[in-house]
Amino acid sequence: MSALVIEAGSRHIREINDEIQQAAAEGREVVVTNTLSRHNLGIGLPRGAHVRFEGSVGYYCAGLNDGAVIEVERNAGWGLAEGMASGHVSVGGYAGMSAGAAMTGGTIHVKGDSGPRCGVAMKGGNIIVEGKIGYQSGFMAHSGKIIALGGAGHSCADALWEGEVWVAGEVESLGVDVEVVEPTAEEVAEVDAILDPLGLVDTSRNWRKMISGQRLWYFESRDANAWLMI
Amino acid sequence: MCGIAGRILASPGRVGNDLVELMDAQEHRGADSTGFAIYGTPRDTGYVLRGMGFDKKGLDADMDRFREILREHGSDYLEEPAFVTDENPHYCVRMVISDPRDIAAWIRDADTLTDRFEVQSCGRSLEIVKDIGGAEAVADKHGVRDMVGTHGLGHARLATESSVLPNASHPFWARPFSDVAIVHNGQITDYHTWRERLERKGYRFLTHNDSELIAVWVSDQINQGLTMAQALQKSIPSIDGVFTYMIARPEGIGFAKDRFAMKPLVVIEQAGELAAATEEQAVRRVFSDECDVINYDGPSLTGIWTVGNRRMAA
Repeated sequence: MSALVIEAGSRHIREINDEIQQAAAEGREVVVTNTLSRHNLGIGLPRGAHVRFEGSVGYYCAGLNDGAVIEVERNAGWGLAEGMASGHVSVGGYAGMSAGAAMTGGTIHVKGDSGPRCGVAMKGGNIIVEGKIGYQSGFMAHSGKIIALGGAGHSCADALWEGEVWVAGEVESLGVDVEVVEPTAEEVAEVDAILDPLGLVDTSRNWRKMISGQRLWYFESRDANAWLMI
Repeated sequence: MCGIAGRILASPGRVGNDLVELMDAQEHRGADSTGFAIYGTPRDTGYVLRGMGFDKKGLDADMDRFREILREHGSDYLEEPAFVTDENPHYCVRMVISDPRDIAAWIRDADTLTDRFEVQSCGRSLEIVKDIGGAEAVADKHGVRDMVGTHGLGHARLATESSVLPNASHPFWARPFSDVAIVHNGQITDYHTWRERLERKGYRFLTHNDSELIAVWVSDQINQGLTMAQALQKSIPSIDGVFTYMIARPEGIGFAKDRFAMKPLVVIEQAGELAAATEEQAVRRVFSDECDVINYDGPSLTGIWTVGNRRMAA
């Protein structure tokens, strides 16, 4: 069955999303054209759905994804795949602020850079960014991995809980309560296993693995001044 | 949550129309009120004023007194005032005046009328149009789509820190600095501290809107000798709160973002033209083809975009 082509343009977003859902239910691939960076495209799609957005999308694309494979040809706005439970979301260019916010599972693959607070409060799954992750990426991540091949902006891995931030390039500065640890060969192999299906394995990488220093786990308000960053 | 926009054209054109499009695309971010700051072809002498009176029944008396004050400062109408009214009690006015001897001294006296009438912009080219309602409604009422100029700002307001009133809409004029306007998305948390400091220096604020403060704060810094770029940078550690603001002057538009990068800014720049907005889908109204978009998503960013050609080709 050939892919169904849906034009976004200025049509009501609910109408477009209904058509995507219906095609997904019929097991049909979808190509969405003329996306005009519009918000809330492809929300809550189920396993088996395969949607490709031509051009750039706005906020919250692929939000609450529940197993679908979603491709964005160019850039994505803020909150890409927010709250995703499972599935695979890829972005050809840049992913805006808070990509993968509060996701609980699945994979986000960004071929360009990501904006600030990528993986904020994520609770599972993996975010792979081929370029650089923005300011304060991994902020309060509870679980899961953020893997940046290009580098990281300021305040990297700020206030992590149990998530991990892996950076192969330059880190501009660390956030609060971060511990940089030398990964074991087994841990590197785990990361390579995530990168392998994306064709991104490179054994010459010099990884920095960032985890929580665990001091903020026992936050005491009398110590607040020690944590103030500004 | 508010929506802001900026637009620069390579040469004078329908900048009003583009700003209405930019704001219409962001109306869901706040439709309490909408406003526009438009920089038309600059006059050599005389100022364009935009103002608002709060009770149209008092219009004649307001204008009589306003004109008396103008004359006391060596100024008078160059063009008769043009009024816009509707079913609401307030009225809006545009007029052109000859140069007062001293703008700051004149506006100080004119501001004695602010319980019934206020000047909302004053400039060789700046005109601020604002009102309650969404982008289309305000644009229709005030003919914004037909306003010609080189650059300008737009704002859709969702009031969070002060009341919904026609005069509490953005953009704000940096009273008394002619031709300076601001739009702001965010909240200033040390508003009262800064307002008191600036009031002690003689500045007047007509609303309790925190954005009015930024316009004056930046202009005051420039007045003290900083360049616009320095003033924008200094605002980031000096003013507390979350903000992305754009400040417009005759030569261009500057922006600054807070230390936590809480509010978006998206820009498309092409062939000497520029569209900036809170949301990418808004700038795509102006540049509908897929093109390179700059996401100013990072913290503590500033920048200035200059206007190339401000006058119509002869």
